[in-house]
Amino acid sequence: MVQIVISSGGAGGLAQWVLVELQGEVEPRQSGELAGSLLGDLHYTREGVPVLIVGHHILYGKVVQLEKPFAVLVKRGAGEPSPAGPHACYTVTALIKTKLLFKTRPKPIITNVPKKV
Amino acid sequence: MRSRAEVDATLRTAKLNPAELLPVVHCLSFGPQAGAGECCLLQLEPGLCAELEAGRSLVIRGEKDEQAVLCSKDKTYDLKIADTSNMLLFIPGCKTPEQLNADQASCNVIHSQIAGFSNNYWELRRCRPKLKKLRKLLMEDPYEGPDSRKDQTLTFSKYTTEDLLSLIQASEEEILHQLQVIDACKIEGFWRILEFDYEMKLLNHVTQLIDSESWSLSKVPLCTCLEELGSLEPREMIEHTLLSYGRKYIDDAGEVYFEMYEDKICRAIAQMLLQNAVKFNLSEFHEVWQQSVPEGMTTRLDQLKGLALVDKASRPETIFLLKVEDLPEDNQERFNSLFSIREKWTEEDITPYIQDLCAEKQTVGALLTKYARSSMQNGVKVYNSRRPIS
Repeated sequence: MVQIVISSGGAGGLAQWVLVELQGEVEPRQSGELAGSLLGDLHYTREGVPVLIVGHHILYGKVVQLEKPFAVLVKRGAGEPSPAGPHACYTVTALIKTKLLFKTRPKPIITNVPKKV
Repeated sequence: MRSRAEVDATLRTAKLNPAELLPVVHCLSFGPQAGAGECCLLQLEPGLCAELEAGRSLVIRGEKDEQAVLCSKDKTYDLKIADTSNMLLFIPGCKTPEQLNADQASCNVIHSQIAGFSNNYWELRRCRPKLKKLRKLLMEDPYEGPDSRKDQTLTFSKYTTEDLLSLIQASEEEILHQLQVIDACKIEGFWRILEFDYEMKLLNHVTQLIDSESWSLSKVPLCTCLEELGSLEPREMIEHTLLSYGRKYIDDAGEVYFEMYEDKICRAIAQMLLQNAVKFNLSEFHEVWQQSVPEGMTTRLDQLKGLALVDKASRPETIFLLKVEDLPEDNQERFNSLFSIREKWTEEDITPYIQDLCAEKQTVGALLTKYARSSMQNGVKVYNSRRPIS
């Protein structure tokens, strides 16, 4: 039987990350790789409402404390196919207890309003 | 990297008033490994977060043809992948408004790298540990006593705790608890179940001694048992029998005694009688059974729940062996099996045979509603199958 261990760096204190939940998909502007490219600016209003500016859109969201937190797992180990060999294992890198949920329609940013002649 | 000036320019274009915003901004970009898909998200049921924070591990267990489960040290969960139509980005070092208000740092542009993203996560649901296999493994080679030739030859059908952990989809505590429930014992480092006849032989030694010494059933001394019976059977086996069929306690003088479980002893003797016949005439059975149990014990039919079933429809009434542990573990298969043995069941009769299927907060009634159909028969509510049983 396969046994895959999920070990926790744990007792030393796991990092706390944040989840950002967006509707739809995110695509790179220049159709290159996503890695390394900018997503946008994340602001908060003085009332604590998260505001995300992505490309030509403004998204308003809310801070949600997760009822069921997430663990972020990173795969380690070769996961060799032989039955006697070591199986893949995972390490818990961080915990996520908070998410920023953006589910309202993005507001478009109109940059160039031509003047009526 | 974006500068404060660029951020402010974007705010102006977006027509947002900086006065209404906190001074700190996170400039989010995708980290170098973001697209690699090496990270995944596991949604944690209550209690698991604390386990991980305490440094404890979780284990995923399953054969290739089994549904995977995840085990903590004492619980088992079904593991599934849940898809979402939304995009989930996970960001280290991203602060919430509370954290920003509390921490008045001077730098007000934070460059945060998105570590990864996903549109699915692992979802857990608490489930019953899959323990039927435990009994099956231990029954491959039941212990028949020190005189048995078998033990010297067969060595491969024996299991240590580690072996069991690698074969059974359950947490360690659930496995250890079940080993206790089925009266398994450790012999030479291996978990063994006693062969039934040998177990009865040991029990018989104990009950005969109790009788000849005229001990009270609630005060059976360990020491004397070991002295008197130690020449007949290994001392560990005597003690194991007492532990299986009695409650251990220590009196004020520090002596170890056992309070014998009347119900469990009567039940075992009933099994011994019933397993040699397809079925028994009920009134004859009552007689033989009462005569077979130790002096001072009273037999009652309700001691046999989950072990035997009375057929009230036959003339004369009969009783036959039906052990819940011989029935399938899966809910639907269990009900199919029960309905093929008997078409209609009363709730009273069927309860001992489905009780173990109940999930954490589920009742027998809920199970019956889901897997059976009810009707009235002679003024009594009965349950039958929802589908035709071949």
